[in-house]
Amino acid sequence: MEVLERLFNVALVVATLRTTAPILLVALGGSFTTKAGIFNIGLEGQMLVGAFFAVIGTIFTGSPWIGVLCGVAAALVLAFVFALLVVTFKANEVVVGLALNILAGGMTVSLLKAIFGTRGSIFGHGLVGLPVLRLPNARDLGWFGQMISGYTPLVYVAFILVPVLILFYNRSRLGLYIRVVGEKPEAAEALGISIARIRYVSSLLCGLLAGLAGAHLSLGYTTMFTENMSSGRGFMAVAILIFSNGDPLKILLGCLLFGFSDALSLRLQTFGISSYLVLAVPYLVALIALFALSYRARPRIIQETLASMGRALSVKPNAATDAEKAVTRG
Amino acid sequence: MPFAIELKSITKRFGSFVANEGVNLAVERGRIHAIIGENGAGKTTLMNVLFGLLQPDEGEIWIDGEKKILPNPAAAIAAGIGMVHQHFKLVPSLTVAENVFLGMEIRKGGLIDHKAQIERTASLSKQFGLQVDPSERVGLLSVGIEQRIEILKVLVRGARTIILDEPTAVLTPQESRELFQTLRGFVAQGMTVLFISHHLEEVMEVSDTVTVLRHGKEVATRPTAELTKSDLVQMMVGRFVSFDRRPRPPTSGKTVLEVEDLWCRDERRVQALRGVSFKVRAGEIVGIAGVAGNGQTELAEVLSGLRPSSHGAIRLQGRPITGLSARAIRAAGIAHVPGDRLVRGVDRNASIALNMLMGRQDQKPWSRSGIIDHRYLTEQTTALIKRFDIRARGPESPVKSLSGGNIQKVVLAREFSGDAGFLLIDQPTRGVDIGAQEAIHGEIMRQREAGKAILLISVQLDELSALADRILVMFNGTVMGELPGDRVDEEEIGMLMAGVRPGSGASARGAA
Repeated sequence: MEVLERLFNVALVVATLRTTAPILLVALGGSFTTKAGIFNIGLEGQMLVGAFFAVIGTIFTGSPWIGVLCGVAAALVLAFVFALLVVTFKANEVVVGLALNILAGGMTVSLLKAIFGTRGSIFGHGLVGLPVLRLPNARDLGWFGQMISGYTPLVYVAFILVPVLILFYNRSRLGLYIRVVGEKPEAAEALGISIARIRYVSSLLCGLLAGLAGAHLSLGYTTMFTENMSSGRGFMAVAILIFSNGDPLKILLGCLLFGFSDALSLRLQTFGISSYLVLAVPYLVALIALFALSYRARPRIIQETLASMGRALSVKPNAATDAEKAVTRG
Repeated sequence: MPFAIELKSITKRFGSFVANEGVNLAVERGRIHAIIGENGAGKTTLMNVLFGLLQPDEGEIWIDGEKKILPNPAAAIAAGIGMVHQHFKLVPSLTVAENVFLGMEIRKGGLIDHKAQIERTASLSKQFGLQVDPSERVGLLSVGIEQRIEILKVLVRGARTIILDEPTAVLTPQESRELFQTLRGFVAQGMTVLFISHHLEEVMEVSDTVTVLRHGKEVATRPTAELTKSDLVQMMVGRFVSFDRRPRPPTSGKTVLEVEDLWCRDERRVQALRGVSFKVRAGEIVGIAGVAGNGQTELAEVLSGLRPSSHGAIRLQGRPITGLSARAIRAAGIAHVPGDRLVRGVDRNASIALNMLMGRQDQKPWSRSGIIDHRYLTEQTTALIKRFDIRARGPESPVKSLSGGNIQKVVLAREFSGDAGFLLIDQPTRGVDIGAQEAIHGEIMRQREAGKAILLISVQLDELSALADRILVMFNGTVMGELPGDRVDEEEIGMLMAGVRPGSGASARGAA
């Protein structure tokens, strides 16, 4: 009991929200491309580039805010290249996404080496992180105050974006057009909506949020840049996007699950459980979650099974009427 | 009063092909005006010109007495013209109202005002008798309702003249009837309806005026009431359709195919066949007539093993073949010329030779121990190309390089060169030019002389009366009646196709 109390408390909630934020930001970015009908596997690379250039920007200007802008700009460039290849030149989106991910990984490593002469990670060099926001009066709210106060700004941005995106998709014209382009491009075309333009806009909006996610990783979540520091969050986001179909609320739920398992594994380490086992926790949870989520596809599968069974069994109703006929004849 | 629409000597060419040549069309306001013609007569081209999708090479478009130039559909819409295409363009996950207003959303403070859109859709739907639930998602609705939504889309954009391209092609007879009622409602409210069709019955039933196009030219524009169906046919085809019957020796072979009380359902789980029974003898052509969508397609699919029957028996040469796979049924001796040749008749990307091989690739002498004898295949294909007069460069030409008529000949050549005793032929001349039609008819007659039992499904009555020994008329999944092929009474067959059994006098005459 005592162990459980030590494990599950406000601190765990705080840790969950902290770990959820970066993946939520990048997944919400991916929601734009998912809704527009683009399978964007390049989130990882955009996030990594965002993280790297956020650090570079901060070191060279001394301002983490300019750093954030640099990170976003870099991710936007990558997103633009993605859109150029996928939308204009109609290249395969998985190939392009993977290629850009590899490019991002290689580019950050070699630039790190070229600029700082090191491999691995950089910190110091006058690197400052984003300030922590303490909400006024939060202390008066007790544990709830503890829960909602004291994060870096991009954490708040991530969570505020969820309702904003719900409104965007349901009530704004651009959001509606993005959905139409993804779902029924020929309908968009017939109405004079430019499919290519909508897809470019979606890709760039995706780059914007992926860049913010990266900047948050290197300036908010930590204050450093490490080789490959996005460490699969972009891919996790892709998985969440597949199962959420890009719906912001479902994305939030998926990200909270990943964030929670991540936070849990960090805490379990302090209990002396084998670190290998502990590090496997997020992935285990991910597997279970994906399984559970894919269980949602069940109605369709059952429908199809029933339909095919119905076809095979459709002899029955008529056979019955035939039997009735026989009876009435008799 | 100026005409709602007046097209003055419209000419439209595609390269050397003239789709419309000096077509005049004058449509009075408040009328239902039908445009009728065979495939390729230029109906759709003319409507696309009117809707701004195509630019005429010559001629003028006048709308409500004003000369207009319509560079794009937006200009046509602004001029009060709306078009309901054959293929719907609706977004399944959006609601009816969202689809109706897509591209012209009602907004309040920058955000889409769903409530206003739903209210406006509901009021339009009420005004024009197009029943829909504005807040329902489109993905859950039937094709008939989807069409209503497409019409609402046109209405909400302020159309006073509505063009419908083959509107009943996708509808059930019931849905078609509802559509016609709606169209009459439009006209009663002072709107104008232009609809394209090649269904004579529909045109006779619903239109006030009819314009007949043939080979891109306007043949006639007349009030429908002054015309009979056979006048229309004559104008469409351009000659007196004599229903020239192919001469034939009488035959009385033994029964090859026997169908007894056959039932099945279509994709929507609706009964498509309801107790169909008939026999086909050797050396006999049995025709199946009926308005498309009355179970003919399903009958062909069940007989060829492509669709399961829910009840009933099919016997070939006395052996039951019900429930066998398509492959087993072919092996038992049924050749099938499918109604949709591009889907089930050929592989368009494969060569003529490979298409000739299909279905017998595991049979001697086409292959031996699993290896295809290409020399034999080429030989046979060359011979078949010659025999069936297929216009192609050679056995290796891909099928997609051939014209519709020649593709159909490829299917016929393959199916007729086997040793099947029963031939199931579905719409053999659909979309085929007149010359090829004649050749195909000749080939079917030769198969009859060779003692094959033939079931010929066709929506073209003249084809049936030219070829069939007996004609069964299908309506709503049942056989409504049987007529001898040599005495086709158009009136009687028309009644049967519409589901009306002729009175006792008529049937007495038939029996006499």
